[in-house]
Amino acid sequence: MGPDIAPGPAVPWRKVLWERQPFPDNYVDERFLEELRRNEGIRQYRYWAVVKEAVLVGQQLSCVAIFITLWLYMEQGLLSPEALLWTSLIVGLLGYGLHNALRPQLGSDRKPRTHLADLQSAAIFLSFTFGFSPVLKTLTESVSTDTVYAMSALMLLAHLVSFPYAHPSPTGSLSLNAALFASVCLASRLPGALHTFAMLSCALLMFALWPCLLQSIRDHAPGPSAWLCVGVCLGGVGGLGSRWPGGAVLLALALVSVILLCPLLLVKLQRHKDNIQGPWDEAEIHEDLCKVPY
Amino acid sequence: MGQRRKKADVSASSEKRASEADTAASNPTASNPTASNPNRKHSICMVSDFFYPNMGGVESHIYQLSQCLIEKGHKVVIATHAYGRRKGVRYLTNGLKVYYLPLQVMYNQSTATTCFHSLPLLRCVFVREAVTVVHAHSSFSAMAHDALFHAKTMGLNTVFTDHSLFGFADMSSVLTNKLLTVSLCDTDHIVCVSYTSKENTVLRATLDPQIVSVIPNAVDPTDFTPDPSQRRGGRITVVVISRLVYRKGIDLLGGIIPELCLKHPDLHFLIGGEGPKRIVLEEVREKYQLHDRVRLLGALEHRDVRGVLVQGHIFLNTSLTEAFCMAIVEGASCGLQVVSTRVGGIPEVLPEDLISLCDPTVRSLCAGLEAVITQLRSGAVPSPADIHARVRSLYTWRNVAGRTEKVYDRVAGEEVLPLDRRLLRLRQHCGSVAGSIFAFVAVLNFLFLLLLQWLVPDQVMDRAVDASGPRALWGPSQRDHPAEEAGAGAPTAE
Amino acid sequence: MDNEKYTDINGKAIALNYQRHSSFCTEFTVSSPKVSIGKVMVATCFVWIFAYAVFFFTDNTAVLSSAIIITLIGMMLYIHFVKIDHESLLVIGSLGIQLSSSYASGREHTSFIEMSKIKDIVINEAIYMHQIIYYLCILLRDPADTSAVSSVVPLFQSSKPRLNCLVKVYKSCQEIISKC
Repeated sequence: MGPDIAPGPAVPWRKVLWERQPFPDNYVDERFLEELRRNEGIRQYRYWAVVKEAVLVGQQLSCVAIFITLWLYMEQGLLSPEALLWTSLIVGLLGYGLHNALRPQLGSDRKPRTHLADLQSAAIFLSFTFGFSPVLKTLTESVSTDTVYAMSALMLLAHLVSFPYAHPSPTGSLSLNAALFASVCLASRLPGALHTFAMLSCALLMFALWPCLLQSIRDHAPGPSAWLCVGVCLGGVGGLGSRWPGGAVLLALALVSVILLCPLLLVKLQRHKDNIQGPWDEAEIHEDLCKVPY
Repeated sequence: MGQRRKKADVSASSEKRASEADTAASNPTASNPTASNPNRKHSICMVSDFFYPNMGGVESHIYQLSQCLIEKGHKVVIATHAYGRRKGVRYLTNGLKVYYLPLQVMYNQSTATTCFHSLPLLRCVFVREAVTVVHAHSSFSAMAHDALFHAKTMGLNTVFTDHSLFGFADMSSVLTNKLLTVSLCDTDHIVCVSYTSKENTVLRATLDPQIVSVIPNAVDPTDFTPDPSQRRGGRITVVVISRLVYRKGIDLLGGIIPELCLKHPDLHFLIGGEGPKRIVLEEVREKYQLHDRVRLLGALEHRDVRGVLVQGHIFLNTSLTEAFCMAIVEGASCGLQVVSTRVGGIPEVLPEDLISLCDPTVRSLCAGLEAVITQLRSGAVPSPADIHARVRSLYTWRNVAGRTEKVYDRVAGEEVLPLDRRLLRLRQHCGSVAGSIFAFVAVLNFLFLLLLQWLVPDQVMDRAVDASGPRALWGPSQRDHPAEEAGAGAPTAE
Repeated sequence: MDNEKYTDINGKAIALNYQRHSSFCTEFTVSSPKVSIGKVMVATCFVWIFAYAVFFFTDNTAVLSSAIIITLIGMMLYIHFVKIDHESLLVIGSLGIQLSSSYASGREHTSFIEMSKIKDIVINEAIYMHQIIYYLCILLRDPADTSAVSSVVPLFQSSKPRLNCLVKVYKSCQEIISKC
């Protein structure tokens, strides 16, 4: 049974320990590693399918760009707060209508929110923001402008990093808070209290409500929603280009790499995936163990 | 990508070795340089972080193996880290000498590894005990890996025993597998406890399968004898003895208990062991009001295990991964019907008629248990004494020691690579990045050893008085050497 | 007394003297080498060069004078409290064991252990710094329980002789202790 006894030719080797076999301990049978399985249950990605998902990341990037564009317009006095408010209101109502039109088709086992409740929360939010906008306006007066810009940039980045792209609705609390923090910072550098109010309402529309609408559009019509995202991307690049052409070029490059290059890399690298599975792997418990009789 | 290349290496080397094995088969002694001297006695140092007073499979493996090797006339010493106030040098039964070295424990009883700090003390042990073979145990033990590294720096032959299985999927296993590759790259021979464990270790450490031997664990059959009179009449008792942790499949057990208890009113569960998953079982017991039928015994001493086992009819093992399951052998040795999950090395352990293997799902385990229960009711199972008679000779420590001895014989004749070739092999075997880093570490280790040899030359160190082995001063002849007896026999200062 | 060469655990030569006053009274003396003038010079030079380097950058003469004082005081403390020249063990059968150590300055420290308190003398192993060494020690009897050991008195703590030297002392001690 030691490592150096000549193997008996007649008996086939068996993968058992309880039987004393006429093979040395370090014997390697041709069945060695026969239970090795590789890349089991691997997902083969198709390029365009990945691109379609990646567009979602691009459109969120563009949303941030559009928000910054609007802020630039406001700050330079090219856009009056009244105009922004009216546009926001119309866009918001249109979106709300669309959202409602799509909602009942979903499984409606839960009691849907009433319009009254929606109106109530909108009223509370708007009145509070309006009431506090003078306070928010002067909130960062003692802080230097550079700090405010740096802080907003950091927070918008945090928003992009922590955004739940796989399932945008409901928006993750960290990403929503980061975005709102950034918009408060930026809004406080605008010329008047009404500007601040308009900017904040716009931010809420863009970072809190738009992802919900996008999610429900995606659930119902995946094809058009991708084109919608492409539209947002183009809008972002175009809008930024009108005030800051250099930034628009950077944004376009970022969008191309996120939407087209990264999926290409993923699909290409997928070929090199080499995952080894075998009997030594820890078994996984698949059953729902809470679901026991009674 | 690394794994792809690793696999290619493995298959290439195994093919190469397969052809060599063919030539060796015609002339069995050709591949064995020490076949001429099979009765050579070795001086073995077992190194592991895990030893008594810690309890577990590795610990008892080291102890039992050492005892059997001492019985065969080899000299064995054990090096481990200090456990609380237990530090210094201790002697166990038959002159088994244990060094409890004061090394800092990091996590889970494993020492920290810096590749260097343990060198002075381990060198001292190796030199003063005139060690010829360093045998490290358990891949979880940092001290074992350090010892392998230092032993190679000092030019000693090394053996490593792997007791556990690892996956390949997550980040931490990628890292630990790389470290294992580096650590085992220089090791002369590796021992695994089952064929599955061998496949796993060969893949993880990119080894040549020819230098990996399979030597199973053993149980002491005299400790585990059946006693059917302890069984309670009118009921069927299922015994589970394991640590209550996720890897032992305690969640599955929590699903099985209510399902079977509802169907079979005479079924009782006896569960020994402690762990974080105890709460799962307590919840189940609470929810289904099974306090009288599910008994949780808590942590068991090793000597109490048999007393629990003999009370049962069925031994259930729900492990999710296991290299070699000692518990099922112990259960079968006590004459119980064994039901177990089909994972890791478990299918290799017992013949098909002594064990019912099931998939690791609640449904499959329930079906397996129910089949055994039906058999028990109809009386179509062999008697406990018959089962014990079959199992008792399967795994004995003497057999393990005999096979390990052959590994030592083989290893002792192998050449230890000089530093330059060792560095070359590290670079070739472990990839250019990790290989270069560890080659650098190996050079530093070598320089550190030179420094230590300059500070305290080997000749200045006192050779220890042997307590076991060919020149042992322990046992019947000890009266002739009063000085050494006192030196060896005195209790460590407390 | 005998020509065997003894060294301590670091390989430095030491001398073992033993005087048999009678068949049950023997004195063992382990002497380490004296403080060598070379070492003193090296240590002094090292401190002074360091002090001069500090003085060079700070231009403060207090550094130099304090260096001189530090060297002198350090030397005195070393020979008075640290450096032990001889360690001796006087074993008198039926009476007890006297341990004395004489420092380089001439100071002596002596202690005596009654034979009734002594259980045995043994050679033991211990981990000392980064080494594992043998040492000779006296086991003291526990007054409450005569078979138990209450504490351990290590011998030759400063000179730390190697095993061959310890065995020699051990054998003679055992001879005397066994007689009474």
